Amino acid sequence: MSAIPSTTRTWCLYAGGLLVTLLPLAVLSGDLFWVNILIYTYLFAGLAVAWNIIGGFGGQFSLGHGVFFAVGAYMTARLYLGWEISPWLGMIPGALLCATIGPLVFWPTFRLKGSFFAIATLAFNEVGLVMANYLHTVTGGPRGLQIPFKAGLGNMIFADQCIWALIMFGFMALCVAITIVLMRSRLGYYLLAVREDEEAAHAAGIDVTRVKLRDTALSAALASIGGSLFAMYIRTIDPPTLFSLADIGVKFALIALIGGIGTIIGPVLGAFLIIPAESYLRAVMGGGLPGLHLVVMGGVMLLAALFMRRGVAGALDALWRRRSRSAS
Amino acid sequence: MSRLLEVLGMSAGYGLAPVLHDIGLYVDSGEVVAVIGANGVGKTTLLRTIAGIIQPSAGRIAFDGRPIGSTPAHDIVGQGLALVPEGGRLFPFMTVLENLELGAFNPSSREKTRTTLDEVMMLFPILAERKTQLAGSLSGGERQMCAIARALMSRPRLLMLDEPSAGLSPVMVERVFDMLRSVVASRNVTVLLVEQHVEDAPEIAQRAYVIERGRIVKTGSGAELMNDPDVQRAYMGL
Amino acid sequence: METLLNVLVVGILLGGIYGLVSIGLNLIFGVIRIVNFAQGELVMLGMYGAFLAYSMLGLDPYVSTLIVMPAMFLFGVIVQRVAIQPLQAESSMQIFATFGLLTVLQNVVLVFTRGEGYSVATKVASFSIAIGEIRITGTHLIILIAVTAISVLLHLFLQRTLMGKSIRAVTQDRQAARLMGINVERTFMVTFDIGSALAGLAGALIAPIYTLSPGIGDNFILAAFAVVVLGGLGSVAGAWAGGMIVGIVEAFAGYYIDPELKQAIWFLIFLLVLVIRPTGLSGQVGAEEVGFREQS
Repeated sequence: MSAIPSTTRTWCLYAGGLLVTLLPLAVLSGDLFWVNILIYTYLFAGLAVAWNIIGGFGGQFSLGHGVFFAVGAYMTARLYLGWEISPWLGMIPGALLCATIGPLVFWPTFRLKGSFFAIATLAFNEVGLVMANYLHTVTGGPRGLQIPFKAGLGNMIFADQCIWALIMFGFMALCVAITIVLMRSRLGYYLLAVREDEEAAHAAGIDVTRVKLRDTALSAALASIGGSLFAMYIRTIDPPTLFSLADIGVKFALIALIGGIGTIIGPVLGAFLIIPAESYLRAVMGGGLPGLHLVVMGGVMLLAALFMRRGVAGALDALWRRRSRSAS
Repeated sequence: MSRLLEVLGMSAGYGLAPVLHDIGLYVDSGEVVAVIGANGVGKTTLLRTIAGIIQPSAGRIAFDGRPIGSTPAHDIVGQGLALVPEGGRLFPFMTVLENLELGAFNPSSREKTRTTLDEVMMLFPILAERKTQLAGSLSGGERQMCAIARALMSRPRLLMLDEPSAGLSPVMVERVFDMLRSVVASRNVTVLLVEQHVEDAPEIAQRAYVIERGRIVKTGSGAELMNDPDVQRAYMGL
Repeated sequence: METLLNVLVVGILLGGIYGLVSIGLNLIFGVIRIVNFAQGELVMLGMYGAFLAYSMLGLDPYVSTLIVMPAMFLFGVIVQRVAIQPLQAESSMQIFATFGLLTVLQNVVLVFTRGEGYSVATKVASFSIAIGEIRITGTHLIILIAVTAISVLLHLFLQRTLMGKSIRAVTQDRQAARLMGINVERTFMVTFDIGSALAGLAGALIAPIYTLSPGIGDNFILAAFAVVVLGGLGSVAGAWAGGMIVGIVEAFAGYYIDPELKQAIWFLIFLLVLVIRPTGLSGQVGAEEVGFREQS
């Protein structure tokens, strides 16, 4: 389960692994509660994989991906509401916009190490929140935008939740596929080298900045697409939801962390662990004492940071290595 | 009677790959001993391990008979062993005086700070002049003097120096070594220094070790080593 | 001219609050470089502490600082040992750990208070002085006095006492500090505990001004980071000035540009500072983490 897949066989492995994640959908397709959870699981798995491109592999821990997510959401919603442009097409301008502003905004902050970069991206998120509230005409201000229900393939609005689940699955698969291609390409090798030791990579002639800028563009574009899908699924978007750190900005990173930052499949694992657990907790605890389920989630975050730095994928990987070492 | 510093079979490094292998050396009270080697052979690692910044992965380090291999750095200086790191590493935004005061921070020398300060100022009159100047604004030579003075503030029995001549002009190097000589003479301090430049060390050291790729390969008196072809090789890093 | 003065005064008062809540973070982030996202929650706990002292013991919030400060110091000890110490070298994990802590603390308080808002009253609130057309209440005055007094005391502590100098040494060169005999780990611990106590103090002092709610810490955390970075990490005078600047800019932006945009303005300032002059006003320490010198 090393970070760089090296053969076509590995492609099949990943494809197989992803198809396995469809099993729960097949089994639970009748239960709306669980289908809904699966929809979010696939979506956030994809988003976490997208985040991981620059956040995990690239070593630039971003807490600002909520902005790209929001741009995609608003752009798609606006184009649909204002000009009846199909969201399938409307996703693209958002993605392109984010692919441009992402590198533009991140570039001057790349030289900031670790925590400073994270805080800068946090500030970026907060600026986004303020602007979203302020630009009433574009974003609908604090109340946001509502998309009326009008089923249709072109509208990307469906009555059948299972279709949404498949779409989100497709998004997740897309993100994973792009990550694999990225990691297999020279760009990918560069990325890993950069993460391991920037100075050494620089000395070896790798243009660190260009690599990171390309990652950022891809990562931002994918996050934007995720936001577009989210907007059409939930059909009501507002600044508090989109720019929420706990629900969006930090969550992408947390999922990647728990699953295993810097592995391809890690964020997917993380999503399948966290999203169902959180939804379940919220359903069970949320009613009685408000905030109780968040106490648990916060505790999980704290414990994960303390004890699971390499994530589940990392732990599994270590186990695998230990077994093959003792076997030989 | 035990040696002041004794290192036996010591290995150390950063992370998984050891930089030093099976190091053995000793320093007797009153001596000046040098460790010579080219760039990157582990000289700094050696001093850092003795000073407690790095824990050795194998072997023993004993100071005055007592094992210090697992003692953390902040406790070692209190036992009488002070390190002047490469470049001096003064606190740049603190004055010369404050740097010196901190030199005496450890509990065993703290009460004598005032006295030690007077003594050190006499040894280094230039520092007395620059008392209130920020350490970051000192010249290279002054910085090295200040760093040595700061180390002396802990009233050490063994003073270790990491490349005291690095980055200094030949005139400054001469001055620093003069200073060291008078320090040794006046304060009953034993000195262990590492150097890249083989011609400098024997001037001041009675004995020297040659280190090559993390191992001690030769030892002898200063004069012997100066003329040794193997030493020339080590110096050139070939 | 009158309005200009009004806005300025509002800005200064705001600056006092921002400066006060940032003092603890200045120590914690400036010295130990811990990205403590839970710092706002420490202030929040100080506020609720003052409320508890008020409702259970009838203590005036300013008197309650005598209880709140030591309590927050102890709380800081626990948090430091459990969540901070183990993650010393890993800043991204610190972000998660402290964010997790933030979530836990906020929601524990939410669970206990069940969403009720509380307020703390003090006799000082009825006292006020007038500057021109503006009335400044006693509570705000105390904050201004407090932020200045605490800054002065902290500055003297750091500059004149041996312990303070050892803290500055750790900030400037960790390894060299070890070689002086300074126990760097213990310095971290104590600094964090002091930072926590100062956060609690700030909370108790500003409690009379706000309606307490569990999420109130969110108002302060980003402002605090902005103040600390702007002022220059670890510089007490810088943080005081930074607080004033952030407060005044917010007031002016709120009045002359748009009240809805006022918070975005200082985020932008913060971003600009990070990009253009990361060492902040004081220009001293801070260069390391921003990408230059390596510490060990």
